[in-house]
Amino acid sequence: MRLHSADVAEFTPALYGAHLMQPFRAVDLLPEGKNQVEQTVRATLADILGIAADRAAAFTDTTPLFGALPELDSMAVASVLTELEDRLAILIEDDEVDGDMLETFGSLVAFAARKALV
Amino acid sequence: MTGGPCIDHYDWPGGRETLLRFGSGPPRVFLSLPLFEEYNRTRAFGVTLLRALADRGIGGLLPDWPGTGDSIVPTRDATLAAMRAAYGALVAAHPGIVGLSIRSGALIDGDAPVAGRWQLSPIWGNDLARELDRQTSADGTIGGNSLSRSLLDALTAAQPGAARIVRLDSDPRPADLTVAGSPLWRRAEPGNDPDLAARLADDIATWIDRCAG
Repeated sequence: MRLHSADVAEFTPALYGAHLMQPFRAVDLLPEGKNQVEQTVRATLADILGIAADRAAAFTDTTPLFGALPELDSMAVASVLTELEDRLAILIEDDEVDGDMLETFGSLVAFAARKALV
Repeated sequence: MTGGPCIDHYDWPGGRETLLRFGSGPPRVFLSLPLFEEYNRTRAFGVTLLRALADRGIGGLLPDWPGTGDSIVPTRDATLAAMRAAYGALVAAHPGIVGLSIRSGALIDGDAPVAGRWQLSPIWGNDLARELDRQTSADGTIGGNSLSRSLLDALTAAQPGAARIVRLDSDPRPADLTVAGSPLWRRAEPGNDPDLAARLADDIATWIDRCAG
Protein backbone atom coordinates (compact mmCIF):
# COMPACT_ATOMS: atom_id res chain seq x y z
CA MET A 1 0.00 0.00 0.00
CA ARG A 2 1.31 3.45 -0.88
CA LEU A 3 0.52 6.72 0.88
CA HIS A 4 -1.23 9.07 -1.54
CA SER A 5 -0.30 12.73 -1.71
CA ALA A 6 -3.87 13.70 -0.85
CA ASP A 7 -3.57 11.63 2.31
CA VAL A 8 -0.33 13.36 3.20
CA ALA A 9 -1.98 16.77 2.94
CA GLU A 10 -4.74 15.51 5.17
CA PHE A 11 -2.33 14.11 7.73
CA THR A 12 0.03 17.08 7.80
CA PRO A 13 -1.77 19.16 10.47
CA ALA A 14 -1.68 16.14 12.76
CA LEU A 15 1.92 15.18 12.09
CA TYR A 16 3.14 16.62 15.36
CA GLY A 17 0.16 16.64 17.67
CA ALA A 18 0.93 18.71 20.77
CA HIS A 19 -0.16 15.90 23.04
CA LEU A 20 1.85 13.27 21.20
CA MET A 21 5.20 14.95 20.54
CA GLN A 22 5.80 12.10 18.15
CA PRO A 23 5.20 11.93 14.41
CA PHE A 24 1.78 10.58 13.57
CA ARG A 25 2.28 7.19 11.99
CA ALA A 26 -0.41 6.30 9.49
CA VAL A 27 1.47 3.17 8.47
CA ASP A 28 4.66 2.30 10.25
CA LEU A 29 6.42 1.24 7.06
CA LEU A 30 5.86 4.48 5.22
CA PRO A 31 7.21 8.01 5.51
CA GLU A 32 4.80 10.68 6.67
CA GLY A 33 5.52 13.24 4.04
CA LYS A 34 8.19 15.12 2.19
CA ASN A 35 9.93 16.23 5.36
CA GLN A 36 10.21 12.62 6.43
CA VAL A 37 11.55 11.64 3.01
CA GLU A 38 14.13 14.44 3.22
CA GLN A 39 15.28 13.22 6.64
CA THR A 40 15.51 9.68 5.32
CA VAL A 41 17.59 10.75 2.31
CA ARG A 42 19.85 12.84 4.57
CA ALA A 43 20.36 9.95 7.02
CA THR A 44 20.96 7.50 4.19
CA LEU A 45 23.66 9.67 2.61
CA ALA A 46 25.32 10.15 6.01
CA ASP A 47 25.25 6.40 6.74
CA ILE A 48 26.38 5.18 3.32
CA LEU A 49 29.02 7.83 2.67
CA GLY A 50 30.22 7.86 6.28
CA ILE A 51 29.94 11.62 6.55
CA ALA A 52 29.43 13.43 9.84
CA ALA A 53 25.90 14.22 10.95
CA ASP A 54 26.57 17.97 11.13
CA ARG A 55 27.88 17.97 7.56
CA ALA A 56 24.83 16.06 6.35
CA ALA A 57 22.57 18.37 8.35
CA ALA A 58 23.96 21.33 6.41
CA PHE A 59 22.84 19.89 3.03
CA THR A 60 20.35 22.18 1.28
CA ASP A 61 18.33 21.71 -1.89
CA THR A 62 21.21 23.17 -3.94
CA THR A 63 24.05 21.15 -2.36
CA PRO A 64 25.70 19.32 -5.28
CA LEU A 65 26.02 15.53 -4.90
CA PHE A 66 27.27 13.35 -7.78
CA GLY A 67 30.61 14.66 -9.00
CA ALA A 68 30.95 16.96 -5.98
CA LEU A 69 31.11 14.45 -3.12
CA PRO A 70 34.25 12.32 -3.58
CA GLU A 71 32.68 9.56 -1.48
CA LEU A 72 29.78 9.21 -3.94
CA ASP A 73 31.28 6.94 -6.60
CA SER A 74 29.25 4.58 -8.78
CA MET A 75 29.36 1.76 -6.20
CA ALA A 76 28.18 4.17 -3.50
CA VAL A 77 25.37 5.34 -5.78
CA ALA A 78 24.18 1.73 -6.03
CA SER A 79 24.26 1.45 -2.24
CA VAL A 80 22.40 4.75 -1.73
CA LEU A 81 19.64 3.76 -4.16
CA THR A 82 19.22 0.30 -2.65
CA GLU A 83 19.19 1.65 0.89
CA LEU A 84 16.58 4.25 -0.09
CA GLU A 85 14.47 1.45 -1.57
CA ASP A 86 14.64 -0.43 1.72
CA ARG A 87 13.98 2.54 4.00
CA LEU A 88 11.19 4.09 1.93
CA ALA A 89 9.65 0.80 0.71
CA ILE A 90 9.99 1.90 -2.92
CA LEU A 91 11.40 0.35 -6.10
CA ILE A 92 13.75 2.38 -8.29
CA GLU A 93 14.09 1.16 -11.88
CA ASP A 94 17.43 1.49 -13.61
CA ASP A 95 16.01 3.71 -16.34
CA GLU A 96 14.91 6.20 -13.69
CA VAL A 97 18.47 6.75 -12.54
CA ASP A 98 20.24 9.60 -14.31
CA GLY A 99 22.58 12.48 -13.61
CA ASP A 100 19.77 14.96 -12.99
CA MET A 101 18.31 12.94 -10.15
CA LEU A 102 21.68 12.80 -8.40
CA GLU A 103 22.79 16.33 -9.24
CA THR A 104 21.78 17.98 -5.97
CA PHE A 105 20.41 16.99 -2.58
CA GLY A 106 17.16 18.71 -3.55
CA SER A 107 16.80 16.72 -6.78
CA LEU A 108 17.39 13.40 -4.98
CA VAL A 109 14.85 14.30 -2.29
CA ALA A 110 12.32 15.32 -4.94
CA PHE A 111 12.82 12.03 -6.79
CA ALA A 112 12.50 9.98 -3.61
CA ALA A 113 9.40 11.92 -2.55
CA ARG A 114 7.75 11.32 -5.94
CA LYS A 115 8.36 7.59 -5.56
CA ALA A 116 7.35 7.34 -1.90
CA LEU A 117 4.35 9.67 -1.89
CA VAL A 118 2.64 8.81 -5.18
CA MET B 1 39.53 -8.90 27.68
CA THR B 2 40.59 -11.89 25.67
CA GLY B 3 43.56 -12.11 23.37
CA GLY B 4 43.38 -12.00 19.63
CA PRO B 5 41.93 -14.81 17.56
CA CYS B 6 43.97 -17.86 16.50
CA ILE B 7 44.23 -18.86 12.88
CA ASP B 8 43.02 -22.40 12.32
CA HIS B 9 41.60 -24.57 9.54
CA TYR B 10 38.72 -26.90 8.90
CA ASP B 11 38.25 -29.63 6.32
CA TRP B 12 35.31 -30.12 4.03
CA PRO B 13 34.81 -32.73 1.29
CA GLY B 14 36.27 -30.39 -1.36
CA GLY B 15 39.33 -29.20 0.54
CA ARG B 16 40.48 -27.12 3.47
CA GLU B 17 39.58 -23.56 4.43
CA THR B 18 40.85 -21.07 6.98
CA LEU B 19 38.98 -19.99 10.08
CA LEU B 20 39.65 -17.63 12.96
CA ARG B 21 39.04 -19.04 16.43
CA PHE B 22 37.93 -16.66 19.21
CA GLY B 23 37.97 -17.45 22.93
CA SER B 24 39.09 -20.62 24.66
CA GLY B 25 37.27 -23.91 24.88
CA PRO B 26 34.87 -25.43 22.38
CA PRO B 27 33.25 -22.86 20.08
CA ARG B 28 29.53 -22.31 20.64
CA VAL B 29 28.89 -20.06 17.66
CA PHE B 30 30.25 -19.33 14.21
CA LEU B 31 29.67 -16.30 12.02
CA SER B 32 28.84 -16.36 8.31
CA LEU B 33 29.74 -12.97 6.81
CA PRO B 34 27.97 -11.49 3.77
CA LEU B 35 29.21 -12.38 0.31
CA PHE B 36 31.14 -10.19 -2.15
CA GLU B 37 31.56 -6.46 -1.56
CA GLU B 38 29.67 -6.54 1.73
CA TYR B 39 32.19 -9.07 3.07
CA ASN B 40 34.93 -6.44 2.99
CA ARG B 41 32.70 -3.88 4.64
CA THR B 42 31.67 -6.13 7.55
CA ARG B 43 34.74 -8.27 8.31
CA ALA B 44 36.19 -5.92 10.94
CA PHE B 45 32.74 -5.65 12.52
CA GLY B 46 32.38 -9.44 12.52
CA VAL B 47 35.72 -9.79 14.29
CA THR B 48 34.62 -7.19 16.85
CA LEU B 49 31.35 -9.07 17.41
CA LEU B 50 33.13 -12.40 17.95
CA ARG B 51 35.62 -10.75 20.32
CA ALA B 52 32.71 -9.28 22.28
CA LEU B 53 31.13 -12.74 22.49
CA ALA B 54 34.43 -14.25 23.66
CA ASP B 55 34.51 -11.58 26.38
CA ARG B 56 31.10 -12.92 27.46
CA GLY B 57 32.41 -16.48 27.64
CA ILE B 58 31.10 -17.57 24.23
CA GLY B 59 33.82 -18.94 21.98
CA GLY B 60 33.33 -18.48 18.25
CA LEU B 61 34.63 -19.24 14.79
CA LEU B 62 34.91 -17.02 11.71
CA PRO B 63 35.26 -19.39 8.74
CA ASP B 64 36.07 -18.65 5.12
CA TRP B 65 33.84 -20.46 2.66
CA PRO B 66 35.24 -21.87 -0.61
CA GLY B 67 35.67 -18.78 -2.79
CA THR B 68 35.43 -16.20 0.03
CA GLY B 69 38.02 -14.40 2.15
CA ASP B 70 41.44 -16.04 1.97
CA SER B 71 40.14 -19.20 0.27
CA ILE B 72 42.35 -20.52 -2.52
CA VAL B 73 39.21 -21.20 -4.57
CA PRO B 74 38.97 -18.31 -7.09
CA THR B 75 35.83 -16.19 -6.71
CA ARG B 76 34.81 -16.96 -10.29
CA ASP B 77 34.78 -20.69 -9.42
CA ALA B 78 32.73 -20.27 -6.24
CA THR B 79 29.44 -22.19 -6.05
CA LEU B 80 26.69 -22.10 -3.48
CA ALA B 81 26.76 -25.91 -3.33
CA ALA B 82 30.45 -25.90 -2.30
CA MET B 83 29.85 -23.16 0.28
CA ARG B 84 26.95 -25.16 1.73
CA ALA B 85 29.03 -28.34 1.78
CA ALA B 86 31.75 -26.50 3.73
CA TYR B 87 29.11 -24.98 6.02
CA GLY B 88 27.67 -28.44 6.67
CA ALA B 89 31.11 -29.91 7.37
CA LEU B 90 31.86 -27.17 9.88
CA VAL B 91 28.54 -27.75 11.66
CA ALA B 92 29.06 -31.54 11.67
CA ALA B 93 32.47 -31.08 13.29
CA HIS B 94 30.93 -28.99 16.10
CA PRO B 95 27.66 -30.57 17.26
CA GLY B 96 25.39 -28.11 19.05
CA ILE B 97 26.99 -25.05 17.47
CA VAL B 98 24.84 -21.98 16.74
CA GLY B 99 24.97 -20.25 13.34
CA LEU B 100 25.25 -16.45 13.32
CA SER B 101 25.06 -14.55 10.06
CA ILE B 102 25.08 -11.06 8.64
CA ARG B 103 23.09 -10.21 5.48
CA SER B 104 23.67 -12.72 2.65
CA GLY B 105 25.71 -14.91 5.01
CA ALA B 106 22.31 -16.35 5.96
CA LEU B 107 21.88 -17.79 2.44
CA ILE B 108 24.79 -20.21 2.85
CA ASP B 109 23.04 -22.00 5.69
CA GLY B 110 20.80 -24.25 3.63
CA ASP B 111 19.36 -26.82 6.01
CA ALA B 112 22.48 -27.48 8.08
CA PRO B 113 21.60 -28.94 11.52
CA VAL B 114 22.69 -25.96 13.61
CA ALA B 115 21.43 -25.69 17.20
CA GLY B 116 19.97 -22.27 16.41
CA ARG B 117 20.17 -19.42 13.93
CA TRP B 118 20.67 -15.71 14.64
CA GLN B 119 20.65 -13.35 11.68
CA LEU B 120 21.52 -9.66 11.44
CA SER B 121 19.55 -8.03 8.60
CA PRO B 122 19.14 -11.20 6.52
CA ILE B 123 18.59 -10.68 2.80
CA TRP B 124 16.63 -12.89 0.42
CA GLY B 125 18.37 -14.23 -2.65
CA ASN B 126 16.24 -12.32 -5.14
CA ASP B 127 17.00 -9.04 -3.35
CA LEU B 128 20.69 -9.90 -3.40
CA ALA B 129 20.51 -10.61 -7.13
CA ARG B 130 18.89 -7.23 -7.70
CA GLU B 131 21.65 -5.48 -5.74
CA LEU B 132 24.37 -7.37 -7.59
CA ASP B 133 22.77 -6.45 -10.90
CA ARG B 134 22.90 -2.78 -9.90
CA GLN B 135 26.57 -3.11 -8.90
CA THR B 136 27.61 -4.79 -12.14
CA SER B 137 30.05 -2.73 -14.22
CA ALA B 138 29.91 -2.37 -17.98
CA ASP B 139 32.59 -5.08 -18.27
CA GLY B 140 30.38 -7.56 -16.43
CA THR B 141 32.41 -7.60 -13.22
CA ILE B 142 31.09 -6.80 -9.75
CA GLY B 143 33.55 -4.86 -7.62
CA GLY B 144 36.32 -6.23 -9.87
CA ASN B 145 35.17 -9.86 -9.50
CA SER B 146 33.70 -12.21 -12.08
CA LEU B 147 30.92 -14.38 -10.69
CA SER B 148 29.64 -17.52 -12.36
CA ARG B 149 26.11 -17.66 -13.72
CA SER B 150 25.47 -20.82 -11.70
CA LEU B 151 26.40 -19.04 -8.44
CA LEU B 152 24.13 -16.09 -9.24
CA ASP B 153 21.25 -18.38 -10.19
CA ALA B 154 21.64 -20.49 -7.04
CA LEU B 155 21.82 -17.40 -4.83
CA THR B 156 18.76 -15.87 -6.48
CA ALA B 157 16.71 -18.88 -5.42
CA ALA B 158 18.18 -19.04 -1.89
CA GLN B 159 16.27 -18.03 1.24
CA PRO B 160 17.39 -17.61 4.84
CA GLY B 161 16.25 -20.29 7.27
CA ALA B 162 14.04 -19.65 10.29
CA ALA B 163 15.98 -17.65 12.86
CA ARG B 164 16.04 -14.97 15.49
CA ILE B 165 16.17 -11.88 13.28
CA VAL B 166 17.74 -8.59 14.32
CA ARG B 167 17.49 -5.48 12.15
CA LEU B 168 18.55 -1.85 12.35
CA ASP B 169 15.96 0.77 13.27
CA SER B 170 16.20 2.26 9.77
CA ASP B 171 14.96 -1.04 8.27
CA PRO B 172 11.16 -1.37 8.23
CA ARG B 173 11.09 -5.15 7.67
CA PRO B 174 9.87 -7.44 10.48
CA ALA B 175 12.39 -8.40 13.18
CA ASP B 176 12.52 -10.00 16.63
CA LEU B 177 14.75 -7.16 17.80
CA THR B 178 15.43 -3.71 16.36
CA VAL B 179 18.61 -1.84 17.29
CA ALA B 180 19.97 1.61 16.50
CA GLY B 181 22.89 1.58 14.11
CA SER B 182 24.22 2.31 10.66
CA PRO B 183 24.30 -0.32 7.87
CA LEU B 184 28.05 -0.96 7.74
CA TRP B 185 27.51 -3.38 4.83
CA ARG B 186 26.53 -0.51 2.58
CA ARG B 187 29.11 2.02 3.71
CA ALA B 188 31.40 3.29 0.95
CA GLU B 189 34.49 2.73 3.12
CA PRO B 190 34.74 -0.21 5.54
CA GLY B 191 33.90 0.89 9.07
CA ASN B 192 33.25 -0.58 12.49
CA ASP B 193 30.81 -0.05 15.34
CA PRO B 194 31.99 -1.52 18.66
CA ASP B 195 28.91 -0.21 20.50
CA LEU B 196 26.60 -2.03 18.10
CA ALA B 197 28.76 -5.17 18.37
CA ALA B 198 28.47 -5.07 22.18
CA ARG B 199 24.70 -4.61 21.98
CA LEU B 200 24.37 -7.54 19.59
CA ALA B 201 26.72 -9.72 21.66
CA ASP B 202 24.45 -9.11 24.66
CA ASP B 203 21.44 -10.19 22.64
CA ILE B 204 23.17 -13.31 21.31
CA ALA B 205 24.42 -14.31 24.79
CA THR B 206 20.96 -13.86 26.33
CA TRP B 207 19.23 -15.68 23.49
CA ILE B 208 21.66 -18.62 23.59
CA ASP B 209 21.16 -19.01 27.34
CA ARG B 210 17.38 -18.96 26.97
CA CYS B 211 16.71 -20.77 23.74
CA ALA B 212 19.64 -22.21 21.87
CA GLY B 213 22.05 -23.40 24.53
